[in-house]
Amino acid sequence: MSGVSMAVDLGGIRMANPIGTASGTFGCGRQFEGFYDVGRLGAITTKGCSAEPWNGNPAPRVCEVTSGIMNSVGLQNPGVREFVAHEGAYLSGLAERGCAVICQVVGHSIEEYASALELYEELAPFAAGFEVNISCPNVAAGGLAMGSTPERAAEVMRALRPLTRRPVLVKMAPSRVPETARALEDAGADALSLINTIPAMSIDVRTRRSRLSRPTAGLSGPLVHPIAVRMVWEAHNAVGIPINGIGGVMSGQDAAEFILAGATTVSVGTANLVQPDSAPRILAELERWAESQGVHDINELIGAFEC
Amino acid sequence: MGLVVARQTAGLHECEVVGNGPDAKGIFLLRMRAEGLSRALAPGQFVNVAVPGDATQILRVPLSCSGILPDEGLVEISYAVVGDGTRRLSEVPVGTSLGVVGPCGHGWGPIEGKALLVAGGIGAAPIVCEARRLGVEGVPFDAALGAQSAARLWGEAALARAGAGEVLVATDDGSAGIAGFATLAAERLLAKGGYSCVLCCGPQPLMAAVAGLAGKAGVPCLVSLERMMSCGFGACCTCNVSLVGGRQASCCMDGPVFDASEVVW
Ligand SMILES: Cc1cc2nc3c(=O)[nH]c(=O)nc-3n(C[C@H](O)[C@H](O)[C@H](O)COP(=O)(O)OP(=O)(O)OC[C@H]3O[C@@H](n4cnc5c(N)ncnc54)[C@H](O)[C@@H]3O)c2cc1C
Ligand SMILES: Cc1cc2nc3c(=O)[nH]c(=O)nc-3n(C[C@H](O)[C@H](O)[C@H](O)COP(=O)(O)O)c2cc1C
Ligand code: FES
Repeated sequence: MSGVSMAVDLGGIRMANPIGTASGTFGCGRQFEGFYDVGRLGAITTKGCSAEPWNGNPAPRVCEVTSGIMNSVGLQNPGVREFVAHEGAYLSGLAERGCAVICQVVGHSIEEYASALELYEELAPFAAGFEVNISCPNVAAGGLAMGSTPERAAEVMRALRPLTRRPVLVKMAPSRVPETARALEDAGADALSLINTIPAMSIDVRTRRSRLSRPTAGLSGPLVHPIAVRMVWEAHNAVGIPINGIGGVMSGQDAAEFILAGATTVSVGTANLVQPDSAPRILAELERWAESQGVHDINELIGAFEC
Repeated sequence: MGLVVARQTAGLHECEVVGNGPDAKGIFLLRMRAEGLSRALAPGQFVNVAVPGDATQILRVPLSCSGILPDEGLVEISYAVVGDGTRRLSEVPVGTSLGVVGPCGHGWGPIEGKALLVAGGIGAAPIVCEARRLGVEGVPFDAALGAQSAARLWGEAALARAGAGEVLVATDDGSAGIAGFATLAAERLLAKGGYSCVLCCGPQPLMAAVAGLAGKAGVPCLVSLERMMSCGFGACCTCNVSLVGGRQASCCMDGPVFDASEVVW
C-alpha cells in the first residue's frame, strides 16, 4: 500500500480510488471476476440500458484499425427490468464490496430516457448514481442527436433532474465540448463523462463496402487518447463540476494525463476487452505515479497540468 | 441436443509455444504448453490469443483448439494464415510466451448415436478436436471434408486416425477426392442415412447449406459459427448472432456452437 490517499468524490459518488470502467466495455462486471477482484475498482459503469429491450445493429459490429478499434454495437440491451433481474444480485454484492455501481441509461427520446431512469430509480437501490448517455453515435434516431447541440443536451438533463436525488453524470459526445459542458452544468448535471467513441469510417477497398454493418461506427482505443485529454482539459476549464475522463486509457500514465488535465476519475474502456486485467494494473500504476509526484492525496493532482 | 453445457469462467493464461510450423499449404499448427487450459478446454471451445509483433494491432485472434492433450499439458491450434494477425502468429518462435484468454464459449456437448462431421477448410480444426473425443468415447462417426485443393487439405489423416468409419474428401479443383464443395460430400454421406446428428464448421455458406440438408433429412445439426469479436468472454456485445424469433445471442458465450435450426442464415 502506498501512502497516497486515492479516494475521490465524483459529484456525490464516493469512490475508493479514481479508476472505473467505461460503459459497454465491461459487461456488468461479473465477466471479469475470473481475472481479478472487481471490488478493488473505484467504480463500474454498466452497459447502456433502455426502458424496453433494443436489438442493436447486425454483425459485423467490430473491426480493427491502427491503434484502435471501431464498433457498431448500437446499444443492444435487454432493457432495465431484465438487466436488473439478471444482474441486480451481483451488482448489489459488488456495491457492498466497496465498488460504486453507476447505471447507464439510454433512449431515443426524452420520454424514453425518463422511463429508463425511473425504472432504475425504483429497481436499483445498489446504484450509487446514474450516467445518461446522450452521445452513442450508433443509434440513428437518438444517441448523437440528443447530445449533438448544447441545447438538446441541456433539455435531456433538465427533464431527468427531478427524477432522482442520486448523482447524475452525463456522457458527452466528443464535439462542442466547452459549451455543452456549461449547458449541462447549468441544467443540473452532477458530473460529466467524456469522451464517448468518435464517429468514424473504415472501408474495405476490395469490396468498396464498410468493414462494419453500418457506414459509420464509433472509434475507441489508444489512438483517441490525446483527443480525449484535450477535451477533458477544455471541459475542466469550462465548468466547476467534476469530470470522468474516458478514452484510450491503456496505462497508468494515460490515466495520470487525464487527472492532470482536470479529470477527477478515469474510466478504462477498450483496454478491458483486449487485456482483461488492465484496470487493476492501471490503478496500481496510477498510485505509483501519484506517489512519485510527492503528494499525500490524489486530489492534489486533479487539474495540476501546468501550461 | 446438449447445447447448454457447463462452462468454466475464462481466465488469462501464459502459454509457452513448443511448436509452430506449417502443416498444409497456408495452414499452421501451433502447440502450446498450457497445463491449466488443457484440463479446462472441451472440443468446440476456443481461446483468444494476443499475438505479439505489432503494438498498433490490439485485438486478440479467436482460435478454436484442434487438439487437447491434458496428460502432456498441451493445447494445439490449427490456423489458416489469412491476414495480418495470423501472419504474425505464424512467425512466433518456439519459446515465446503467449497471453491467452480462455476457455471461451461452449463446445459441442454430449453426442449420442452416430455422428456426421462436416468441415470446410480450416473449419476442420474444431471438428478434428471433436472427432478425437468421439473416437476415445467410442461414438461412431463419418466425416465429409472439403478444401480448395489437395495441397490445402487439412485433417484427413487426423480424422481417419481418430476412428472415422468413412472420410469423404471433396476439393474445389478435384485434385483430391471428389470434385466439388464439402456440401457435396456431406450430401452423399447423409443419403446413406443412419446419422443421429450432424456437426459442421467451415465457411458460412457451407454451414448454411449443410444446415438445410440436415433439416431436410430430419437430422439435428450443430454448427460452430465465426464472428468478428473482441473480448471473447461476454463483455462487449460485438459478436452477435441473430437467432430465429428475433433474439440476439453472443457468439463467444452462447456459442460458438449453435443449434443450426435456431440460426438466422
Ligand atoms: C470462435 C472462433 C473460432 C475460430 N477458430 C479458428 C481456427 O481454429 N483456425 C483458424 O484458422 N481460424 C479460426 N477462426 C478465424 C480467425 O479468428 C480469423 O481468421 C482471424 O481472426 C483473422 O485474423 P487476421 O488478423 O489474420 O486477419 P484480418 O486481417 O483481420 O482479416 C483477414 C480475413 O479474415 C476475416 N476475419 C477476421 N477476423 C475474423 C473472425 N474473428 N472470424 C472470422 N473471420 C475473421 C476477415 O473478415 C478477413 O476476410 C475462428 C474465429 C472464431 C470467431
Ligand atoms: C464495444 C464497445 C461498446 C460500447 N458501448 C457503450 C455504451 O453502451 N454506452 C456508452 O456510453 N459508451 C459505450 N462505449 C464507449 C466507451 O464507454 C468509451 O466511451 C469509449 O470506448 C472510449 O474509451 P476507450 O478508448 O477507453 O474505449 C462502447 C465502446 C466499445 C468499444
Ligand atoms: S466478443 Fe465480447 S461479448 Fe462476445
